[in-house]
Amino acid sequence: MKNLFRDILDIEDVHGVIFLSLDGKPVFNEFVSHPPKGLEHINWRLFIHSLDGVREAELVFENRRFFIKRAPSGYILVIMGETAPAEMVRLNCDILIPNLEKTSKKPKGLGRFFKLRQK
Amino acid sequence: MIKKVLFVDDDRILCRKILKKLERYKKRFTTLTAVDGLDAVDKLKENTISLVITDLQMPQWDGFALMAYLSEEYPDIPVIVQTAHSTPKAKQIALSRGAAGYIEKPYNIDDLGQKIIATLKKESEGGILQSVPLEMFIQLIEMEQKTCTIRVVEKKTDKHGVLFFKNGDLLDARISSLHGKSIAYEIFSWDEVTLSIQDECAVDKKRIDGDLQAILFEAIRLKDEATEKEELEANKKPATKAQKARATERDRAEPEPKALSLEENIKRTLESAMGGKKYLKDIYPDNSWSNFIVRASEIGKHFTAGSFKSCYIDKGQAIDFVILPGKEITVISVDPRCPRDRFLQALSG
Repeated sequence: MKNLFRDILDIEDVHGVIFLSLDGKPVFNEFVSHPPKGLEHINWRLFIHSLDGVREAELVFENRRFFIKRAPSGYILVIMGETAPAEMVRLNCDILIPNLEKTSKKPKGLGRFFKLRQK
Repeated sequence: MIKKVLFVDDDRILCRKILKKLERYKKRFTTLTAVDGLDAVDKLKENTISLVITDLQMPQWDGFALMAYLSEEYPDIPVIVQTAHSTPKAKQIALSRGAAGYIEKPYNIDDLGQKIIATLKKESEGGILQSVPLEMFIQLIEMEQKTCTIRVVEKKTDKHGVLFFKNGDLLDARISSLHGKSIAYEIFSWDEVTLSIQDECAVDKKRIDGDLQAILFEAIRLKDEATEKEELEANKKPATKAQKARATERDRAEPEPKALSLEENIKRTLESAMGGKKYLKDIYPDNSWSNFIVRASEIGKHFTAGSFKSCYIDKGQAIDFVILPGKEITVISVDPRCPRDRFLQALSG
């Protein structure tokens, strides 16, 4: 699963990715540097429930942005800084979802096609 | 999507046999026939053909003339040459003129079927992408200096187009037998598309001049202009009696809401940022989002994200929402086509 999210994590100013099941259970997380403390204390179920089936959301905070994309099997949550190219993150999530569902080891499409450079 | 294969041979009996025998592959492709090169040209204009199989010796336009025409007007369509008069020289010439394959008559129909399937697979050897923002993908191709052929299908209208890139440079665009910059503009204006990526480009000649970014901007500008015209036309229509009656009833039932300065402020900020574009549908207070605001703020605290400023919500409906937390939660409903990043940036400012 780490490989599936590699292209997103390689995007400039992306801090991490979390994948949650449809009922808010953390399935996977990966961070570019240290994960934040207390991640295990977050009540993801309540947050997912509050989304009420939203297809896509972008949360803007003072110094972070969160992009949330619903996939058939869960929610992708991308934690970004202010300068991350949001459109690139959205595009990569769109590409990623079919592979996520196939649980294929080898990513197809954009993941194989482009290597996004990390500054 | 079932692809179409064009079989070109002046032997009509053979054409009928081939049609019948290739029916077993109908889940992979359908077959059309043409009796010579000229007939093939007509079929190409009327259909989206993915592969041509042609005999070499035909009256009027022979196989070589057809191949020359295809390499000029339909360079992305592979050609398999089939002939009963095979010599090593003929094979060499056919392959040097760009034939993707060569098959000698008489042949086994299953061999032909497998050759067709293998050739058709190349159209999407680089992958198939659904519902991808085309402009973004094109910019990535330029950034990565890719050489590829992109087949684009617009989902709503099933229109087909082809884009040709060499080292990230857009060489040409094709819809049916039409080429050039105006065709590129049209393809770039398509909203929901499926992309098939082929890792090579059969085109050498650059038919489109100009910088790709400039072409993309112009395509977006033309699309916006066309959308505005449509909206103006729609607004010109006089309200029906029923619409007028409903409006009067609404006015009577709901007292006019007090104009909130926050709403006016938001409206002015957004209209100024969007250059007067009418993406804004409505602004209203709505505390039903409070649970979501609370949960999102909690998440933000764990990530030391600072204060929660705004949120863009896409529920997959005809309108999207921007939520502004505060003492009273303000909801802005917007057209999903609105430039989301600019919107959010304007609100953050």
